[in-house]
Amino acid sequence: MADWPGAKSIRGSSYKEGKVIETVSIYLKLIKISMKSRMQYRADFFTGIISVIILNAVNLTLIGILVNRFAHLNTWNLWEMVFLYSLWVMGHSIYSLLFWHFNTLEDYLVRGTFDQFLIRPIGVLVQFLGREIQYMGIGDVIVGATGLVLSYSKLGLNWGMFEFSWLIAAILSGAIIELALAWLIACLSFWTGRSVTAYFVMMRLNLMVQQYPVDIFGTWFRVLVTGLIPVAFINYYPTLLLLGKTEQAGGWGWLGMMSPVVALLLLALAMLVWRIGIKRYSSTGS
Amino acid sequence: MRLFWSFTRQAFHNTAVYRFEFWLQLFSVFFMMYSVFWVWKILYKQSPGAFGVTLEQMVTYGILGMALETIFHPGRGPQTYITEQIRSGSIDTDLTKPLDFHVHMFARNFGETIFRFGTLAMPSLAIGYLFLDFRLPASFTNGVVFTISLFLGFMVLFSLNFLLGMLSVVTLDIRSISWAYNALVRFFAGQMVPLWLFPGFVGTLAAVLPFKSIYFIPLSIYIGKMNGIEAWQGIGFQLIWIAVLLLFGRLAWSKVHTRLVIQGG
Repeated sequence: MADWPGAKSIRGSSYKEGKVIETVSIYLKLIKISMKSRMQYRADFFTGIISVIILNAVNLTLIGILVNRFAHLNTWNLWEMVFLYSLWVMGHSIYSLLFWHFNTLEDYLVRGTFDQFLIRPIGVLVQFLGREIQYMGIGDVIVGATGLVLSYSKLGLNWGMFEFSWLIAAILSGAIIELALAWLIACLSFWTGRSVTAYFVMMRLNLMVQQYPVDIFGTWFRVLVTGLIPVAFINYYPTLLLLGKTEQAGGWGWLGMMSPVVALLLLALAMLVWRIGIKRYSSTGS
Repeated sequence: MRLFWSFTRQAFHNTAVYRFEFWLQLFSVFFMMYSVFWVWKILYKQSPGAFGVTLEQMVTYGILGMALETIFHPGRGPQTYITEQIRSGSIDTDLTKPLDFHVHMFARNFGETIFRFGTLAMPSLAIGYLFLDFRLPASFTNGVVFTISLFLGFMVLFSLNFLLGMLSVVTLDIRSISWAYNALVRFFAGQMVPLWLFPGFVGTLAAVLPFKSIYFIPLSIYIGKMNGIEAWQGIGFQLIWIAVLLLFGRLAWSKVHTRLVIQGG
């Protein structure tokens, strides 16, 4: 017991700081182990990444054919659509690399293997997240970065420091929103036992909003993806700001500024529900 | 016929346990139909009657494509079953069954497809009809030919999935490949964007590959874009590919079968 990483620092004076460093070091150690076991299947590793690139290429080609044949989609030209999609894929890659296995939570709960996390002297979340790293996300990084660079040059953009910082903030907010939504849905399984279908419905709704600009849809749908399931904050509203298309959303173009706020609020909510869920699980589990 | 119904009943029992998931699935199909509805509506507002098709036909094509994805989703074919059996090692129980494996896979897949057609595709289309301008077939004849063509489309998809399943016997895992496979099938099948919009080389490629049998041919017949002789040519195209793919499936299975027997003994 005494020699697990960071045990000393907990007993030391800077309790909080030691705890954070310890958690991070355990997480990195776990990830390293899972990477090693992944690389055992090298062929699978590369086909997985190429598969994801093909999947994204197909999505983009479909968009490309439509926009090319009809000149534009509700004033969005080809490269603006590529930018919209790539901004999402960039954030999505962070989420899919590190947090994708939230949707496997129900398997742990159903099989009872979740208990192993509760009996060890480290945080449950660290152990759960450290289980796996979804290497396929590397394919998303490649697609997203290529898409952003290409559309930046094709659209003739000329950004300063401010816009680039906003881009990074938007990517991070997008990742956090997606993570928080997936987390919240995963937490459902503490109550219902199953949640993976709900997750796939959310992903479909998400993909739909990320592929097409929200302004082509009807009013109630725009309200839904802005207020209720705020996936429009992942890429749509930030793109309006970054490409100077705020008039597309009527008087609501400023909502893009709210993406980081929405992201943090959702994350806080997810953490709260997670805590309640675990408490519930511990008390009824045995 | 009894064989198919037994698998349909099985699928019903498996699904009835999770009623909430059924509603969620219906909900997700609605979102997909809703999105194509608006995409075509906006595009046709920009250029009405584009490519010799009316907005009504185009919306019907799109909604039908999304609703049929509930039965033609390539993630739910014989390949899923084969991979699971290979992984768990229980494929030997399939070999001892007094039923040809190819026929068994077909019966299982067809039974489940009928079930999903009744419980997911039909309700989705009803919703599309009531809320999203989905229309009935262009004519009675088109409706009949569409039904034939839809079945043939199923046969093509089944044969392709079976071949993918055979591949999984060799590679043991097809999960990472299936992401790309599913996307490419949907693309070349014209599930969302019809083939007449495909430019140049991609268009030529899509025209000769078997995938267009799955969505594009039946859907074009339904909306009346393909009529008379052209529709029957489409059916002929489907039949030729079915013959070729089933033959390949048989060959692959006989290869795999000997391999399995040797490993097992």
